[in-house]
Amino acid sequence: MARLMIRTAAWTGAISGLVIVYLAMVGMIERLDTLPIIGTVGMDTILIFVPAAVGGWVVTRPRVVAGERRTATTGAGVVLGAAEGLAAGSVVELGVVLVSALGIETVRQVFSAVSPSLIEIMRFHMAAVPAALVLLVATTVVGGLGGLLSVLPRSVRGPVATGATAIVVVALLRQVIAPAFDQMKIERDWLYSPITLGLTWIGGLVMFVLTAATVRLRVGHRLATILVPSRYPSAVPAEPEGAAAEATGEGLLAEGRDAFGAGISRRGIAIVAWCVIAAIVAVLPYLVGPVVSRILGTVGIFLLLGLGLNIVVGFAGLLDLGYVAFFAVGAYFTAILTGGQRVTFTGYEAPTFGLHLSFYVALPIVVAVAAFVGLVIGAPVLRLRGDYLAIVTLGFGEIARVIFGSTWAQNLFGGSLGMSSITAAEIPGVNLNFQSDPRHFYFLVLVFCLLAVFVSWRLQGSRVGRAWNAMREDEQVADAMGISTTRFKLLAFAMGGAIGSIGGALFAVSLGSLTIASFQILVSITALSVIILGGLGSIPGVVVGALVLIGLPGLLTQFADYRLLIYGAVLIAIMLLRPQGLVPNVRVSRELREDERSQDQWAKHLLEEDAADAPQPTGGALT
Amino acid sequence: MTHLLEVAGVAKHFGGLYALDGLDLHVDEGEIVGVIGPNGAGKSTVFNVITGLYTPDAGDIRFRGESLLGRLPSQVTKLGIARTFQNVKLFPNMTVLENAMVGQHCRSHAGVVGAIFGTRKTREEEARIRERAQDALAFFGSRLSGYRQDQSANTLSYANRRRLEMARAMATEPALLLLDEPTAGMNPRETLELRDHIKRMRDERGLTILVIEHDMRVVKGVSDRVVALDYGHRIAQGTYEEVANDAQVIEAYLGTKAVG
Repeated sequence: MARLMIRTAAWTGAISGLVIVYLAMVGMIERLDTLPIIGTVGMDTILIFVPAAVGGWVVTRPRVVAGERRTATTGAGVVLGAAEGLAAGSVVELGVVLVSALGIETVRQVFSAVSPSLIEIMRFHMAAVPAALVLLVATTVVGGLGGLLSVLPRSVRGPVATGATAIVVVALLRQVIAPAFDQMKIERDWLYSPITLGLTWIGGLVMFVLTAATVRLRVGHRLATILVPSRYPSAVPAEPEGAAAEATGEGLLAEGRDAFGAGISRRGIAIVAWCVIAAIVAVLPYLVGPVVSRILGTVGIFLLLGLGLNIVVGFAGLLDLGYVAFFAVGAYFTAILTGGQRVTFTGYEAPTFGLHLSFYVALPIVVAVAAFVGLVIGAPVLRLRGDYLAIVTLGFGEIARVIFGSTWAQNLFGGSLGMSSITAAEIPGVNLNFQSDPRHFYFLVLVFCLLAVFVSWRLQGSRVGRAWNAMREDEQVADAMGISTTRFKLLAFAMGGAIGSIGGALFAVSLGSLTIASFQILVSITALSVIILGGLGSIPGVVVGALVLIGLPGLLTQFADYRLLIYGAVLIAIMLLRPQGLVPNVRVSRELREDERSQDQWAKHLLEEDAADAPQPTGGALT
Repeated sequence: MTHLLEVAGVAKHFGGLYALDGLDLHVDEGEIVGVIGPNGAGKSTVFNVITGLYTPDAGDIRFRGESLLGRLPSQVTKLGIARTFQNVKLFPNMTVLENAMVGQHCRSHAGVVGAIFGTRKTREEEARIRERAQDALAFFGSRLSGYRQDQSANTLSYANRRRLEMARAMATEPALLLLDEPTAGMNPRETLELRDHIKRMRDERGLTILVIEHDMRVVKGVSDRVVALDYGHRIAQGTYEEVANDAQVIEAYLGTKAVG
């Protein structure tokens, strides 16, 4: 057993070490050397040691051996973690030695990011031998800490891990947080050092304590309870035993009283809390400034795409990989309806068909066109399911891109050069687009996002939503229960397309110009990633997904070169650790909760039935 | 008098296999008809052609004198024929109540506009859907009511899943209910209970029932008339006693005596 554990530790350490070496070889560590996190510690140091700590954590996680859950003791946890760290450090050191021995010029022929300064960083600006010792000792300690953290009780582990993460996040989000402090005229030099631009040690400590306390006191959960009381019933969830009490009528009465007595104040708190959130959302652009507002505008556009796609995929279960078609329809039709000019090699020309409508007049037309396109795309694929549907819709997405960018439609849509001079949406005197002020555009996007959230929410709880849900779960049975699957599939495509086209329309007016390059298949994939990351079928999930997948990459410009690398890693990690998404659909989470409970119930039920039936004869042959 | 349901000379074959081969069958208003037959006799295929899942190769199916040929399953359900499946097919991740509410779908009309604006008509209809779904669940007493209504269907015990499937079918407000082996997998006590439920469905709710069943105690207990199938056609019909003593039926189940 011990031998097995050591071997696991060595393997995990080797993998962590290789991750560190990889990060170094692609240039991430050197590139982020100048990115300060806390005190004099930079992002490079974090990148060198975090994988070792994570490895230590992983090695020490409880594992199931022969059906038995085994948890390491504290001592064993530290030792295993340290062993893992040592292994990781050794691999990294081996890498450093190898690169030095081969000569940097040789290695550079393959890994162009390797440079003398990288070696300097990996050696902590020290001589080779002491540096090796420092590295090994440091990774061992860090690995041991990771192991220790993992065997500590949950009440300690969660807060500490989150607190440590918060330090890095707060340091990285300086661009957002610092201007907000300035806007509110709050002193911030205690938090961000004016010299290094990273967190000060004091600031880091405060952030750590704040976050750890937040997690320890389950503030998030409490807040959620206040904000969405329906999702977290105040009374003890109806346990099976509750049913017995209910039968006598007492349980029902007691529950009713409870809900009534606590109901008013809870409701009051919820309203106040929502008002606070609304107020923050309303002043957000002025807190965070134009740069971040622009990012929020983009988040909003993808939120609309996500909400639309969520109707098709999340509600109705129709996997659509060509959703970019609706984005393009929304953008191009807005362009020709609001006076967009075709870009040609000699200048600008009016399209063969074009109107000079205001954005608000054009939008309903655009939405109607998109809904119609939804029907057109939906009709031929009615009989297809799953993978086949996905492939065909993928084709439709490409067809849309080809049509809008083609030469034969160039008199209408500008071909490969695209369109320009699209009139911005405006409220009298103010242009709502990125050029004039992204903060104003934010409000335009916000209005449509709220609208789309409302529509999604209403649909989800309606007869239509129920029909979609039934269809997603079992199309054949839904049909047999009287749901016209043809009708509701088309409806899903049309509704999804309509909402997505609003995203396209806003995209067109935000920039004032568009080219076919903006309508690549990557848009479809991003929109799908947003809803899967957030949790399929979950409206808050789409919001969180858009913020994480669109907002964070926009904010963390320091990582811009490695965006897709991190993007991929995050998606893999989330799908492994939390396949139901960040904010799962209520139905899914309810299922997970009840699964645990029903296990025992199920067995108990069987036992009771068996006992009752024991004396009775069985069988029923034709006699 | 026309029969409520009339299956006339229906044939259905899959490649060379004749699942149904000139089947004649009728059900009258208010009857409970039991369908029996050995495995592979074509019992479930009958249900599938009646409900529009399969298109028959020959013959006609008439419901209240109107042909069902060429109609989609959803249209057949709307006309008033509901069914359950041999291997229970619920919407497992929807709650018990939602499952029953889906049954009410074909008796309601609210669309996208009503849902978004929450018109009074839509809200009233939604309340009615809920009420009728609860009524269908209440048919099975406390088994599907109370706290269980808001649990997802996949947490139910096997017997309760079967009951929910029947409740969902009843929620479509059918005239004719097709039950495909409703007691399969149930223990003897549950089977007897269900036998009473089937009778009550007719007596209290006025449903006409066509039931495929293997448990002969149930067939005997509920059927006004029994139809025996083998090789895709009817080999006997009549009261339970008549059919049970029919030479052809006994042969179908037990085989012929070896000669020699």
